Parts: sequence; C-alpha cells; structure tokens
Amino acid sequence: MAMAKKAPASEPEQTEGQVTRRRMLNWLSSVGLFGSAIVSVFSNLVFIKPRATYGQPNRFSIGKPEDFPSGTRITLSEQNICVVREGEKLCAISTVCTHLGCIVSTSETGFACPCHGSRYDQDGNVTGGPAPKALPWYKVTLAPNGELEVDKGEEIPPGTYFNA
Amino acid sequence: MPKKSYFNSLTELPANIWHSIFRNPLPSSDLGRSQTSFTNFFLHIHPVKVNKHTIKPWFTMGLGLITFFLFVILIVTGVLLMFYYVPSTEQAYNRMLDLRSSVAFGTFLRNMHRWAAHGMVAAVFLHMCRVFFTGSYKKPREFNWVLGVVLFLLTLFSSFTGYLLPWDQLAFWAITVGAAIAGYAPVFGKEIQFLLLGDTTVGQEALLRFYVLHIAVLPLVMTMLIAVHFWRIRKDGGLSRPEEADAASQPQGESLETWPTELDVTPAQPAEAVQTVAAPAIEKKRYGVQGLVRGPFTKVGNVPDNSVFSWPNLFMAELFVFVLTLAGVLVVSLLFNAPLEEPVNIAHPPNPAKAPWYFLGLQEMVSYSAFWGGVGIPTLEVLILLLVPYLDRNTKGVGRWFAKERLLANTLFLTFVIVNIGLIIIGTFFRGPNWEFVSPW
Repeated sequence: MAMAKKAPASEPEQTEGQVTRRRMLNWLSSVGLFGSAIVSVFSNLVFIKPRATYGQPNRFSIGKPEDFPSGTRITLSEQNICVVREGEKLCAISTVCTHLGCIVSTSETGFACPCHGSRYDQDGNVTGGPAPKALPWYKVTLAPNGELEVDKGEEIPPGTYFNA
Repeated sequence: MPKKSYFNSLTELPANIWHSIFRNPLPSSDLGRSQTSFTNFFLHIHPVKVNKHTIKPWFTMGLGLITFFLFVILIVTGVLLMFYYVPSTEQAYNRMLDLRSSVAFGTFLRNMHRWAAHGMVAAVFLHMCRVFFTGSYKKPREFNWVLGVVLFLLTLFSSFTGYLLPWDQLAFWAITVGAAIAGYAPVFGKEIQFLLLGDTTVGQEALLRFYVLHIAVLPLVMTMLIAVHFWRIRKDGGLSRPEEADAASQPQGESLETWPTELDVTPAQPAEAVQTVAAPAIEKKRYGVQGLVRGPFTKVGNVPDNSVFSWPNLFMAELFVFVLTLAGVLVVSLLFNAPLEEPVNIAHPPNPAKAPWYFLGLQEMVSYSAFWGGVGIPTLEVLILLLVPYLDRNTKGVGRWFAKERLLANTLFLTFVIVNIGLIIIGTFFRGPNWEFVSPW
C-alpha cells in the first residue's frame, strides 16, 4: 500500500509546493555548505583578533607626588599623558587627540594638535578644530608604595582632581 | 641503427625543442597570425582579431595597460625588496638605510617601487575617468566597471599598507590617523581599528599586519580580480566602441569566397576567437566562425568587419605602452629619490603631518569632520561610483569621448573629479603647520 502511494508523489506535476526528498536534500546540503563557509570566515576573524596585546599596560606608575611640585605641567611622552598639579590638586590628562589620534603638544592656551588643527584649553576642553570631544582625564590613585598610579582604563569627569 | 640518422636527430634537437615550446613559426599568413595568438598561453587572452577602433591610441590612451604594467613592476620590485626587508619596529628603518648604503641598486629599486605605486594610483584613476568619459561602463560592461572600482580601492589600500613599512614618521602618523578614521565607522568601527592594528596603538603588531596585507593578501586578491577584469573585457564584447566602428567601412578588396555564407554568419560580429554566442546586446543570435572550428587551431575568414589581426597590431601597441611605462618609471627613479623621513618618534607628530598626495583630499575633509570627511562622504562616493552603471540608463554615446548625448553624466562626473582634485590641491599646497591655511606663494 505504501508503495502505491509513493509512486504518484514522484511525478513532477503533483510535487508542486511539496517538499520532495531531492529538494530537501538540496536545501540541507546548501545550508550545510554555506553555513560552514560563513562559520569558517567568522572563525578566521576570531583568529586574527588578538586575545592579548603586547602594548603598554593600562595601569602604570608615574612616580611620587613630590616629583610633581605645585605648578607642574609636564607631558609624559611614553604614556601620552600630561600631569598637571596646582596646589594640592593633581590630574592626568590624555595627550592623544580625540579627533584622529595624533599627539597634541602643549601650547600657551592649552593643547594644539599638529595633524588637523584641533585646539584644547588648559583643561582639555575643545576650543577649535575638528575634535569631537574633550581630552579625557584619567583616574589617579596613590599606590601602597607611595607612588602615583594612573589608570588609562578609567576615565573620570574633567575637573575631578586627586588630592595629593 | 645507422650513425648518420643518430647524428641527424641530434642536429635537429635544438629546432625540435624550440618547436615544442613555440608551436608556430613567426606568422607570415593570416592563419599563422591567428594561430600565434590562439596557441600561445600569454597571448591567448587576446582575441585573434581586434576592431580598429580598439587600438586607436587616443581612445584608451593605454591607461588600463599602464596600470597593469605598473602593477607588474610593483610585484617584481616588491619581491626584490622583500629580500632585504624585516617587518620589525627595531629593524625596519635601519633596513631602509641599508638599502641606501649597502645594497646594490637598493635606492633605485625602492625608488622604482615608490614611484610606480604613485603612478599606479594616478593611472588607475585616469583609467576610470577614461572609461567614464567614453561611456564604456554601459551594458553589457556594467560589472566590469564595478570590478574596476573595487580594484581602485584595493590599489589605494595597497599603497596605504605599503607606506607603514619604512617605519618613518610619515608611516607612523599616517597609519595612526588612517586607523583612527576606520575607528569612526559606524557600529564596528572600533573593532575594525583593533583588527587592523592588532593592538590599541600602532606598534609591532600593526607593522606585521600591514606587511602581510601588503605583500600577500592584497596582491593575491588584486591579481585574481585583474584576471577577472581582463577576462570580462572579452566576454563583454571587447572594448567599447561606437556602433559605426563595427560596420564594414570598405571591403578592402579581400576575397569573400572563403566565407561560408550558408552558415548564417553575420560579418558584423567582431572577430572573437572562441566566442560562439554574440554579446547579449545584439538581439539576433550570431556565430563567429571560430565557434565552428574543431581541434586545437582556429581559422579565420577575411571578413570586411573593420578588424585587424592582434598579431602584430595589438601586441605592438601593448609592447609600446609597456616600454613607455617602464621607461617612465626608470627615468623618474633616476631623477628623484623616494622620500624617507625621520625615524618614528611616537611623542611628536611632524607638523604638519601630511599623508601622500593621493590621501590629502581625504585629510582635508577629515579636518572638518572625522566622521563625515573620513567615513560618511567617502562611503557615499564609493557607493555612487559602484552604482554608476546601474543608475545611468542612457544607452547612447558609447565609445566616444565626451559624447554630446552624455552631457549631463559627463558634467556630473567632471564635477566629482574636479572637487576631489581641488581638495587634494588644497591639502597639498594650502595647508601649513597645525593644518592652518597658508598661501604657497
């Protein structure tokens, strides 16, 4: 009985809209092939994304508070930060231009970027040029060994000073 | 075995070897000319015959060929430079100095590589202008235009990845800025920047990545796409030409007796060695005579179809362009040394920090807005370029420079060209320290 039912189903005009075995297998193998192609492209992307980087650590020590007497405004070129101290207030401002990553230089009015002419005031607020936002301030803490520690992973609102 | 026959076969050996490599003697007949094109691996990408219009020097100005030959020069000089280059932040710059001081022809090869790269960017752009102003991107050549635009972008990316490699000031800051522009791309911007640099800042990882892209990934992809680009020239019916170029102008006194008229072969079809079905633009199905040939050889009838044999007409023209291109690169490399700036100083960007001339238009735009100048407008421009053949439905004016029927399209494209060149000129000559406006005179 089962054989008799199967035979007419294989005729083309009766399979319109139905899923035949052939169509099902075509569909499954296409999904399998394209699926594995997509998965392999994706795994290549995973491969080229490094899990660990060899660059600078985010947290680093910059020295004792006494190294930065009041009135200091010094750029640490290796860490790309500018350490500012006025009285007891101390802060670390990034010197990486928020526009396209050039290193800003200190000018009389604050910071200026040589690449595309962005300008910032003493606190890192944008005063001109294409920079979209102010220079970030990084969190400064006192490590147990008495040295100041800057954490580039943690941005703090401008105007938040560390009390030395 | 008689000694004489042994000796005979020995004297024939050089000729036998020669003929096993080159199956045809230098052609003296039309059949020979067609067989030479047809059986030689390096020539067979050409049709046996080309339309006379195709080899008119002022139609193409050989710009596509110049681009390709510069690419070949870049591959050869690039491979040679690889023998002395080390992609390490410690060594790369010193290796550049070594090329100057202690490698034979080191400076010269680096000059050739640098100037050929600049030349290729210029040539590929001019080639695109040629194709546009002659209306050559129209059906059935739409997709070849798209491939061309992709190849143009790959050329730019190749030169971009190339100039990190000397690890001088220009290299470092151009890549810092370039990667930061990528970081402005929506959604995946920061991810792309991180994947490109392999780190949060430009350093050893970025140098290695750009090196691999520059010497392996991009040349491979480009070689493949160039092959498809060339292949499609023929599959799309040869170079574009006006309709009248296909018409038989004069019978030229050729004998038509050999022409098998009973096979309904229409002479208007441009000679095509292996193409059997006419280009889709021609509604009536027509057969080129080569399609009827069995066996490894081709036979060509003398049809008054305004075409000439590729051997020697096309090949001489190509050789001429090659010699001219190579001569140009050699002369420029003898006269001018490729720039090498100070070694990288990650604390102090040069002021002003300028990219090579072909990116100064982009740099001028990002000085107004990083997103719009670096991502938004360029993406829009590329999208429009890619869609050009699908947006422009005007079918007239194909194969002629500045055809009147294409006044609107040509004007729009000319505006696009002038604006971009204008931005490059502003960025090159009118921008000084801190990217401030300066007057060059």
